[in-house]
Amino acid sequence: MADEEFDGDDVGDDFEEVEEDENLDDLQEGEDDENQVELLTAGEGQAVPTQKRITTPYMTKYERARVLGTRALQIAMCAPVMVEIDAESDPLQIAAKELRERKIPIIIRRYLPDGSFEDWGIDELIISDF
Amino acid sequence: MKEQYRETDVVRNITNIQFGVLSAQDMQQLSHAHVVSSELYTVPALTHKPAPHGVLDLRMGTSQKDMACETCSKNLTDCTGHYGFLDLARPVFHVGYFKNTVHILQNICKTCSHVLLKPKDKPGMCEQAKRITSYLQKKALYKRVNELCKKVSLCPNCGATNGVVKRLPPLKIVHERFRNVKKGDPVLTEYFAQFDTALEYNKELESHLSSNVVEFLNPSQVLDLFEKIPYSDLPLLCMNQQFSHPKDLILTRLLVPPNCIRPSVISELKAGTNEDDITVMLTEIIFLNNLINKRSAGKVQSIQDSWEHLQLHVAFIINSEISVPLDLSMARKSTRGFVQRLKGKQGRFRGNLSGKRVDFSSRTVISPDPNLRINEVGVPIEVAKQLTYPEKITTHNMSLMRQLVKNGPDTHPGAMFIEPRSSPGLKKSLRYVNRERTAMELRQGDVVERHLMDGDIVLYNRQPSLHKMSIMSHRVRVLPWRTFRFNECVCAPYNADFDGDEMNLHVPQTEEARAEALTLMGVTSNLITPRHGALIVGATQDFLTGSYLLTQKDVFFDREHACHLISSILAGKETSYKIELPPPAILKPQQLWTGKQVFSAIIRPSKFFPVEVNLTARRKDYTRGEELCSNEAWVVMRNSQLLAGALDKSLLGSGSKKNLFYVILKDYGKEHAADAMWRVARVSTLFLMNHGFSIGIGDVMPGAGLLARKRELLQDGYGKCDEFISQLKEGTLHCQPGCSAEETLEQLILKELSTIRDKAGKACVMELHKTNAALIMAISGSKGSFINISQMIACVGQQAIGGKRVPNGFEDRALPHYERHSKIPAAKGFVSNSFFSGMTPTEFIFHTMAGREGLVDTAVKTSETGYMQRRLVKSLEDLYVAYDMTVRNSTQDIIQFKYGGDGLDPSEMEGTAGPIDLERVLDHIRAKSPFPEEDPLTGAEILQLATKYLSEDAFKELSTEFKGELKSFMEKFSKRVDKIRSRLTHTTATTTTTTSTSKPSAQAPVEKHVERLTFTQLIDFLNSCLDRYQAAVVEPGTAVGALCAQSIGEPGTQMTLKTFHFAGVAAMNITLGVPRILEIINASHSISTPIITAKLKEDSDPEKARQVKGRIEKTLLGEVCEYVEEVFLPDDCFLLLKLAVDRVRLLKLEVDAYSIKYAICTSKLKVKDGDVRVESDTIITVRPSRTKSSAMYYQLQHLRQHITRVIIKGLPSVSRAVINQSDAGPGGKQKYELLVEGDNLREVMATYGVDGTRCTSNNTYEVFTCLGIEAARATIIHEITVTMETHGLSVDKRHVMLLADLMTCRGQVLGITRHGLSKMKESVLMLASFEKTADHLFDAAYHGQSNPIKGVSDCIIMGKPMNIGTGVFKLVHHHRREARPPPRKLIFDHPEMHVPLSLSLS
Repeated sequence: MADEEFDGDDVGDDFEEVEEDENLDDLQEGEDDENQVELLTAGEGQAVPTQKRITTPYMTKYERARVLGTRALQIAMCAPVMVEIDAESDPLQIAAKELRERKIPIIIRRYLPDGSFEDWGIDELIISDF
Repeated sequence: MKEQYRETDVVRNITNIQFGVLSAQDMQQLSHAHVVSSELYTVPALTHKPAPHGVLDLRMGTSQKDMACETCSKNLTDCTGHYGFLDLARPVFHVGYFKNTVHILQNICKTCSHVLLKPKDKPGMCEQAKRITSYLQKKALYKRVNELCKKVSLCPNCGATNGVVKRLPPLKIVHERFRNVKKGDPVLTEYFAQFDTALEYNKELESHLSSNVVEFLNPSQVLDLFEKIPYSDLPLLCMNQQFSHPKDLILTRLLVPPNCIRPSVISELKAGTNEDDITVMLTEIIFLNNLINKRSAGKVQSIQDSWEHLQLHVAFIINSEISVPLDLSMARKSTRGFVQRLKGKQGRFRGNLSGKRVDFSSRTVISPDPNLRINEVGVPIEVAKQLTYPEKITTHNMSLMRQLVKNGPDTHPGAMFIEPRSSPGLKKSLRYVNRERTAMELRQGDVVERHLMDGDIVLYNRQPSLHKMSIMSHRVRVLPWRTFRFNECVCAPYNADFDGDEMNLHVPQTEEARAEALTLMGVTSNLITPRHGALIVGATQDFLTGSYLLTQKDVFFDREHACHLISSILAGKETSYKIELPPPAILKPQQLWTGKQVFSAIIRPSKFFPVEVNLTARRKDYTRGEELCSNEAWVVMRNSQLLAGALDKSLLGSGSKKNLFYVILKDYGKEHAADAMWRVARVSTLFLMNHGFSIGIGDVMPGAGLLARKRELLQDGYGKCDEFISQLKEGTLHCQPGCSAEETLEQLILKELSTIRDKAGKACVMELHKTNAALIMAISGSKGSFINISQMIACVGQQAIGGKRVPNGFEDRALPHYERHSKIPAAKGFVSNSFFSGMTPTEFIFHTMAGREGLVDTAVKTSETGYMQRRLVKSLEDLYVAYDMTVRNSTQDIIQFKYGGDGLDPSEMEGTAGPIDLERVLDHIRAKSPFPEEDPLTGAEILQLATKYLSEDAFKELSTEFKGELKSFMEKFSKRVDKIRSRLTHTTATTTTTTSTSKPSAQAPVEKHVERLTFTQLIDFLNSCLDRYQAAVVEPGTAVGALCAQSIGEPGTQMTLKTFHFAGVAAMNITLGVPRILEIINASHSISTPIITAKLKEDSDPEKARQVKGRIEKTLLGEVCEYVEEVFLPDDCFLLLKLAVDRVRLLKLEVDAYSIKYAICTSKLKVKDGDVRVESDTIITVRPSRTKSSAMYYQLQHLRQHITRVIIKGLPSVSRAVINQSDAGPGGKQKYELLVEGDNLREVMATYGVDGTRCTSNNTYEVFTCLGIEAARATIIHEITVTMETHGLSVDKRHVMLLADLMTCRGQVLGITRHGLSKMKESVLMLASFEKTADHLFDAAYHGQSNPIKGVSDCIIMGKPMNIGTGVFKLVHHHRREARPPPRKLIFDHPEMHVPLSLSLS
């Protein structure tokens, strides 16, 4: 494979040094700017109030997958089922049915990049397709 | 059983990894044994009892089954091992930190150990160093300090002289103290004065005292220096004092790793043991140690030698691949040091940490089965009995589990083990228990490891896994026989065929894994490729042939056959479907149904079935007349009724958006699309089986007419080629711009010959009967192309090697069968025969040459693209869409503010760029719900209503671009409505007036219903647009980076030829294909074909263009000279240049004799102004210099040789510029632009006549340096898109944008290489798992870097779930607390119970 040839250490330190030496000044400037920038406090670990939530009201497929999985695991571990089931025995199917009826007792905690989070209940979210 | 991952179960959570350098004390504290003995075993060696204080001391753990560890008393399997240490007799350099050691020595004064920074810089730098948190900045500062210190030669602290410190391979450090000191400097004389006394007694020394004083710094000296470094200077070395100190970079003590990582193997054949490399090297070190200790009073030289050996051995144990001079290499066999254990594909990082071997997987040969559903996989029963799933017993599945346990491990739906809840971790095999009793004793919470059963979810994968669709989850169907089977529709995403391919199957072991696999990785969830949003799962091969034949005009079935075909869909969950047989198309003499009716019934079996497809598309071979097209290439489907057209690959297959299944998917969801695909697969195969389809020799036999036509074509073509050749010989060939005559000839012939094949192919297709099997396959798109047909029947055509005709392998000819220099078609690889008629031997060899080129190309390409893909993925793996819709990496740096500029998901793009194909959606809504009771709207009404409705609040969600698109679409539509209706009313006005008056006005005239759109339909349409737009917004958590990497890497494997001709100008070849993509991605500074596109200020005048070309293109004096003569006169000699004025005028060069004189004088020839004389407008004389020492004759010869190379006009770096006629503008006028070969964008832009604001280069680095980072970003996007498009590959612009943004987000163009990557990423683990493993680890240790476990690679290495996709959020239990009962009011809360105070006062 072609990648192996690049893995050798003998490709030469000289080459690398030349390549890397160019941009010292660029990074230097970046540092000086830091003094003039006002830092906003990070919302680390703080909840965003319900009215001020900004994230999408739709449930993403990742949320659906994880909610279903978590709930299926709970059901497999003999958690009480929140919906009427007929002959279903697959925990995943039961969980899907519960989700369809919005009966899953789980809150999704969405983290924003600054560390703050929004809490969305399953019943608040719009679930588009199954 | 695999432990389930549960976050709450984890007591400790690894959030950081701290790298550092161990000090001698640290080593001792870590250790349980002091190793001093070089003996491995106690004296009676056969017992294999490790010697105490040897390297195999049992206190460091055990590697033998029958011995327990002496530290923890655990046995081989349980003891994790303990460290030992050994003291080195002399300090040695650590090979990993050797580079850093040299750097530190360069940074500090070799006398007082202070950092050599100027006093004014020092405090600032120090402060900066303390403040820096980012690893990238720290590395940069380290470089800068080193740069500054290298320049200082006088120590600001003690005033001592410092010279250059260099490494001397392999592991020595040299200090040239007086390098910068001039001779006679007092410092130097003082230094030499030291030796005066010695010299007095030993005169021989004098020869050794050269002015170039070199000091060797041995490890002891370096250690002393490092220990003296003042504490306040440490931050300047960018080390973290807490975790590393310079003195620790010199080894005085060695940590001996536990025995279990270097196990000894007791050989069974011969006496003795096989020891691990590390153990062997450790004993050698101890041996040398003891030697030095013993000799410490001996000769200096021998100790010095032993020390050097010790140094090397310690280096080898860390890194055994360092290069060593031959005499020192001691004829070693190659060993594996620590670095070797870590690095490379098989090393710890890539082999064991980033990728692991797994249980619960299976691999076997695959075969097709059209009867399986799209999302199913047929699993052999033997495999199903081996693979298990641990199912927990609940009330819901108790009876089933009892049955499975009773069945035991050997009957298929059975179980292998049970794990009772009472004894977790203890598995009971069902083979050895009373299964009846065990079954009855099952309780809730027990775990049954049951066989794989129908409906289970498994992951199915085929290597190479180039995109996310290479591993998808299927549902299991347990079947007899021994292969994995799946529906052929799913071949495309796996890129699988059945010529012996094998595939892998993995069984997820937890409920969570199953749920994620099903919802995210299911085949039905991955019908669409995120690369460009088209279907990737779709009908192939026989399905296409079958459907094409079934939907032909002339296919009719009687009731029996029609019912037979349609009822074939009654299987699985469709068993209970009610099918309505449509009324027959032909009633008399016999009831007959058309194939199109059958097909329609399959798409929509009854009128209660929800799927109503509306689709109008034209196939590639569409002629004219819409429905009346003779090729049946106009396909109309209305409310799932196939009204016209035969279906082919573009409508049923993968890779298209005007596709039946795509429309179903978009309008009715993925389940319906997958079901429809399965139904089509079943019916088309059934039809094809009954119809019969085969290919034979008769299908490729040319008729007499075709043969005659071919002969004619060949004669014509050959004649033309001969004509060109003779033109070349006579020199009358008109050269193409920028080409030599030879090149022009090649191009002309190549063009001529390719037309021969094209025409032959066309003639071929024309002549073939429509039942010809090859033709049917080519038209339906199931296999083969028209070129293949024409190659089989008519003519194989020109064989190309490297995009050119076959090159000369012999002297001046390609094969010895032809004459030298022959340029006729046959001599250069034109194959006029067909595969049917058979090739001549020469043709055959040409054909194999071209075939071989293809094979070599694929072989080379796979490894190249594989490496490219790996680099792309490594650099983009951690980019995701955060919940605030920005694209970020794992350190939360913003890469894009909104994904792709509009935040839309590439896999949801319905149109070519926009999220919705408005035309289709409108048609669909109008057809689906006609609202017959409503009145159609007029054009003005439509526009008014639409604008009003669009301004409502709900539509604020739409982006302005999309809103604009929607509005302009509505405008266009309303205009069309008005236009058509007005035209109709005009023509029918006279005829309808009588009827309209007679009828009640409520009945709308018929022309009103043309392009009918009612109020409800319009509102439905706009709402539908809103819904679809919102569904197309990218979901937070999506790993857009990985998608981008795959979407760019995967098509790379499909790129075939390497170079293409420049569009428009045949003369300019530009690199394309994989090499070009590599150039762009690597951010190469010099690319192989740099081209500047320069638009002109006056771009309609070819004369002006030629002028500008003259200004840019390099013109040599030799090119405009008629002759250069040496003239010797009795009293003078000179060079006489005669200018070709005609030529200058023709080329529109702006030169005259005076400007040429100037050019000669300023050139490198060093001719003085007075020696060049302009005699006339056309004659210049140059005289050799009289003052120079060399003879005038030689000067004249020199001048004569070099004067023709003087550049008189243009840019030296530009070798060629070509005038390109771009497409005719709106006025039908030709536009001209310049294409400049070369790398000097700045100069070209500044040239007079060039429109500087519209110039660009295809060299990203050139654009970056000249125009800045944003321009570079735009260039990257443009170049990648263009390269992909020339290969017919479409990639969504969002992917390319993301890649360009990542490459440019740090303010400079960073390549996707190891250099670029180490400037983009902070994570040490990620970098170490990429390339240069050891270097990154040593660097991190030196800097005392702390590595937070956040990125994708980091998480995989640590075995944690990553923060992408399902990891971006957390789940919290929702306590549904009852509302608290209202608190009862206390007695004092009642106001009436209070006596007002004021009252009592008064």
